[in-house]
Amino acid sequence: MSYRLRSFALALLAGLALASPALAHDGEGIAGGLASGFLHPLSGADHLIAMVAVGLWGAQLGAPAIWLLPIAFPLVMAVGGVLGVLHIPLPAPETMIALSALLLGAAVAARLRPPIVVAALIVGLFAIFHGHAHGAELPGAADPMAYGVGFVTATGFLHGCGIVIGALSRWPVGARLIQGLGAMIALLGGYFLALGAGVAG
Amino acid sequence: MSGRSKPAFVGALFLLLSATTADAHIIGARLGDFYAGAAHPLTDLKDVILWIALGMLAGSLGASGARSVLLLFPLGLVVGLTTSMALNASSEGALVAAGALVLLGLLLATELRIHGAVLGAIALALAAMRGAANAGAIGPETNRLLFVAGLAAAGYVVIALVMAATLAFRDNGAATPAWRRIAIRAVGSWFAALGLMMGGLALAS
Repeated sequence: MSYRLRSFALALLAGLALASPALAHDGEGIAGGLASGFLHPLSGADHLIAMVAVGLWGAQLGAPAIWLLPIAFPLVMAVGGVLGVLHIPLPAPETMIALSALLLGAAVAARLRPPIVVAALIVGLFAIFHGHAHGAELPGAADPMAYGVGFVTATGFLHGCGIVIGALSRWPVGARLIQGLGAMIALLGGYFLALGAGVAG
Repeated sequence: MSGRSKPAFVGALFLLLSATTADAHIIGARLGDFYAGAAHPLTDLKDVILWIALGMLAGSLGASGARSVLLLFPLGLVVGLTTSMALNASSEGALVAAGALVLLGLLLATELRIHGAVLGAIALALAAMRGAANAGAIGPETNRLLFVAGLAAAGYVVIALVMAATLAFRDNGAATPAWRRIAIRAVGSWFAALGLMMGGLALAS
């Protein structure tokens, strides 16, 4: 056995022998709350695509929308979250969440450029419904504070993903790609809308 | 490095990397209550998030205006804790903590340039409130002086580190990219959103 191979085998053996359990998937307390909060926006495809669409649209619209939307969205979403925590019902929340994916995706696909106030109002309206869905789960979480940290962080990361992908719109081919992504999001939103209405599935 | 020292180095490296906690009964040691005081707020997300939010706000306002927070924040923790012990009353203050988080988050998100004295007053009030909330962890056997010293030391270290990190992140000379300021504002809006929901939860329960 060569010297290098011997060193590698020794190091590998030491690493294996000294390995300790990872203690992941706690499921309780702060770790459980964080995990469930972080995964909530990611595990619901309708939430996920709508959040990415917000980032894409912000990137397409450019300044000031690109920074205004990620800053304003969590705040407005929290208002919906409070309504959810207090169990104040909103009309057809699942339909509105699916509609948000459909309309925001369509806005990206069509490269709609409304005035910033109109864009903020559209996004803000849908943010309330997304926040309501997350907030309704909050009181039952393992650690409500950790759940809140998790889902607000995940939402911010999804916006960030949308903005980073949306940066492709600087190039002509990238702009077409973003429009294509918007169209896919709109189609998925339409599917979820039909699913909610009992037409599909 | 010689041929013999290489395997020794690799072995030492693995031993270092795979070291785990010592479990040496630190709480039972002579300075145990110091560590208990320092660790207690760090196990509560309310404290951690409020302290980070305050540190970020202070850091985003610049070094000269925020320097007083380094002194006022640990002092406020001591005042809050000792007052609460003297009155024999501790309060979690969930709604007040949520309101404070909304305030700090909105100040960060709107990039409002508040006066250094206002920042100092906020830091002192917030620290006194959280100091009082931490008084609940003091038992009859606890060495109060060590616990207070531990809490104040933890408060100083966390605020100083977060302030310094925010300053370094935000003000990197003339070439600082604009997105860094936006990122700090976005995190501020996250804090405010979290505070709003925690307030809703406190009202609901």
